[in-house]
Amino acid sequence: MDALGSLGAGFAVILTAQNLYLCLLGSLIGTLVGVLPGVGPLAAMALLLPVTFTLTPVGGMVMLASIFYGAMYGGSTTSVLLNIPGEAASVVTCIDGHQMARQGRAGAALGIAAIGSFIAGTLGIVLLTFFAPAISAAAIRFGPPENFSLMVLGLVCTLYMITGSPVKGALMIALGFLGAAVGIDVVNGRERFTFGFVNLTGGLDLLAVVIGLFGVTEILANVEQIARGAPLAGRIRNLWPTLADWRASWRPILRGSGLGFILGLVPGGGPVTASFMSYALEKRLSDTPERFGKGAVEGVAGPESANNAAVAGSMIPILSLGIPGNPVTALLLGALIIHGIQPGPLFMTQRPDLFWGIVASMYVGNIFLLVLNLPLVGLWAQLLRVPYYILFPVVLLLCVVGTYSANKNVFDLWVMLGFGIAGHVLRKLEYDLAPFVIAFVLAPLMEQSLRQSLVMSPDGAMILLQRPVAALLLAASALLVALMFRRKPINGGGSP
Amino acid sequence: MNRTALVLALLAALWGGPAAAQSDPKAELARLKPKDFPTQPIEFTVVYPAGGGMDVAARLLAKYVEKWSGDRIIVNNRTGGAGMVGHAYLATQAKPDGYTAGALANLVWGDAMLRAQGRWAYTDLEPIAYLNTDALTWVGPTEGPYKGMSVKEIVQAAKDKPGTIRVATVPGSMWEYIVEQIEASSGAKFLRVPFQGGGAGIAALVGGNVDVAQGFYSEFRGYLDANKAAPLAVAATSRMDFLKDMPTFNEALGSDQYTWQVIRFVVVPKGTPADRKAYLAAAVRAAMQDPELIAEYQKTGAFFDPKLAKSTDLPKDLGEYAERERAFYVQTGRLK
Amino acid sequence: MFERALNVFWVLLGAAAAAYAWTLGIVGPAGPESGLFPLIAGLIIMGSGIALMLMPSQRAEIFDFPRGAALQRVIGVVLGLAWLAIAMPYLGFAIAGVVTMLVLLRAVERVSWTVSLGLAVASVAAVSWLFGDVLGMALPRGPWGF
Repeated sequence: MDALGSLGAGFAVILTAQNLYLCLLGSLIGTLVGVLPGVGPLAAMALLLPVTFTLTPVGGMVMLASIFYGAMYGGSTTSVLLNIPGEAASVVTCIDGHQMARQGRAGAALGIAAIGSFIAGTLGIVLLTFFAPAISAAAIRFGPPENFSLMVLGLVCTLYMITGSPVKGALMIALGFLGAAVGIDVVNGRERFTFGFVNLTGGLDLLAVVIGLFGVTEILANVEQIARGAPLAGRIRNLWPTLADWRASWRPILRGSGLGFILGLVPGGGPVTASFMSYALEKRLSDTPERFGKGAVEGVAGPESANNAAVAGSMIPILSLGIPGNPVTALLLGALIIHGIQPGPLFMTQRPDLFWGIVASMYVGNIFLLVLNLPLVGLWAQLLRVPYYILFPVVLLLCVVGTYSANKNVFDLWVMLGFGIAGHVLRKLEYDLAPFVIAFVLAPLMEQSLRQSLVMSPDGAMILLQRPVAALLLAASALLVALMFRRKPINGGGSP
Repeated sequence: MNRTALVLALLAALWGGPAAAQSDPKAELARLKPKDFPTQPIEFTVVYPAGGGMDVAARLLAKYVEKWSGDRIIVNNRTGGAGMVGHAYLATQAKPDGYTAGALANLVWGDAMLRAQGRWAYTDLEPIAYLNTDALTWVGPTEGPYKGMSVKEIVQAAKDKPGTIRVATVPGSMWEYIVEQIEASSGAKFLRVPFQGGGAGIAALVGGNVDVAQGFYSEFRGYLDANKAAPLAVAATSRMDFLKDMPTFNEALGSDQYTWQVIRFVVVPKGTPADRKAYLAAAVRAAMQDPELIAEYQKTGAFFDPKLAKSTDLPKDLGEYAERERAFYVQTGRLK
Repeated sequence: MFERALNVFWVLLGAAAAAYAWTLGIVGPAGPESGLFPLIAGLIIMGSGIALMLMPSQRAEIFDFPRGAALQRVIGVVLGLAWLAIAMPYLGFAIAGVVTMLVLLRAVERVSWTVSLGLAVASVAAVSWLFGDVLGMALPRGPWGF
């Protein structure tokens, strides 16, 4: 297969001192950015874009790309240790990851996350290497009806994440839809729910919402109950995953890789959607779903793998077609243009050095990240021994700066604070917060795709059934909903 | 930095020749540089997400402004509300101290006239330098029933079969206005499918989900080269140098109303001290005459409007374009 | 008591949202209008609120509103964050941040003033360096230039 030969050429490009250094640097920065709550890969990449001017195109792209997937490695760290997500794709990891940390198994959680991320990332890149052209030809035909059906499937998966009262869960999902409606309706350009506040025309910033709802809320809860100087977790029991952990995790890792890769391909998918759909999948397939939310390692293995595979998936539309599926790949596109490279379907044949150099760098980057993250597991776990009254102000400061870094808008800080207080109250009253965030992320895409589909279609809603992929996804959603009623309702307390 | 620039200018004057012409802007900058400015990085605000057309233009500009002035420029994306949040920030909140400049497009006029609700006007932002212009282009498919058709034929088809030809639009912007204009003058009726930006529409075109897409050269060039999209017409006053075979809308449809362009320029908030304003203007102008930057901009498909490039009173000349846009809004009932 | 208040809040919020959504328009010539999704969401919120009021089984078992010292700690953190949001654009990140850190450190654990000040300055400096120099982001500066 020609791909192997080209890949070899790509390795020749990447295995220079400078490119390797840039890959390492990007991985480091990405990990750092992933660990810091609030700062996401997008902000870091935008900040470092000028630095790439002085680099070769390969070097610049390699550095930027490695920040992207590096952040998926780092994001799990604070999720597990502090129950505060490093960025939106790590929200789901908080649910079981932090419970594992509280049981003294932080090392196991972090280890599974790191290794799962590595396996998924590598698998994703392998798929990219061999199947990019074929996959992209299929992906390009993904239009509004397919998007809508995928979002419906995502919404159904959200239902699986509800652990407490179904009524409260439905309420939070509806609130997510309402929250997402604040701002400009992209379909017709009208303002909704802005009430004359300019700062609301942009809607509620996702990062501010996530950090408020999971960062500030968590800190408020801990601060309220703090026992004098006690650290978060007891003695760290085992630093590494046990054999039992592996046996439980290997299938979620593989499933997460596949699911994440596919979701990365589609616009509006990406690591965030992939992470919670993987969680829902694992919970659905498990024989003992009641363990989820209490430290089930599958709840870490699946999502963490999915978000890494999604990075590889989302690189396909941009590298093979020049289509950005999410803001991060849009930035990569801009970076290519600034360097004078024309992305598009001919990119692979016009600049094979660049294309395969980037692909090869992803293999190398994943190895770097594994090597970087595994030894750090022990170090990070020590963080839990810092007395909380010193830890939380610093974390809060980082949350504030991280949230601010997205738009440099102080209004986002108020959003963060508001959601923090609301989240604290809601958690006390046993409301699940994760479904709100997921609905918040899904709703705009779902609404936009539905309305686009209806406009496009001469037969109205029938277009959703006329297009095979859309119909298939809708059928899968219906099936999942039906299956939900066959299970006994899940009992459990609140959740993050 | 002052001294370095002066030394360079001196050396250049000694060696004479083209070197002198090259360092003129640097000498000019050194002359105009106010005392104690800048002491911290200058922000170029971009109201669109990183990686987009405006962002790319701003970052290229920042790179060359840094090169010529030696000052540190940070490009900052203040996104939200399709630019509204950033525009309002620049017009009402940004401190007019010379440390904030906006790299804007003429889309700010639409926001000011239609959506600002009296809180600010486009005159609250003073243009100090012109960057480039990008003309809106229609792109058609290379497969399917409409392949190979000219823009005139497509408009005719839209007239014959109203509501069947799907065109990708971005609601509330020139993407929609031109479709409106064409429909009004020809009696055609397109099926407008809304997208969030031109790029998404072009992706939909290539995927067979719409029949006509609208965007800029940098967005569809990749598909053009790969023969996945065909340029139909451009909404400019004359043909594009890099696509000489593509007619203008005015040519193809026999009119003179189809001029829809993104005009990019740099502004500072009203009230910025005159000396800092002059310095920033000179810095951007210095960057803009760098042949490398000109080449980079041309590669993205932008061109330089001669009237604005040689303008001696940029606020006035841009203002003319703005008022023309206002006239369009009044004529179509969007503004009283 | 709080839960009941919250349920009433849901009903009111849902009703208000649905009413506002109605004014946006529900269905138009081109399909659903701006108001459709918010209307459905508002109705679901309202319905859920009513259901929660009627179904005791769905309620939380215990709701412990924080009292005394716990309440003080929570309020301290909230005020510290609010201060930062208010003051940062005027005093700059450095100064506003140090004050916030002081408030946070004192609010929870009554850390001694010297230790608090030291920690506050150190952490703000570290964060400023990390974001300002390593990542190249400009944090707001105060009237004294930092």
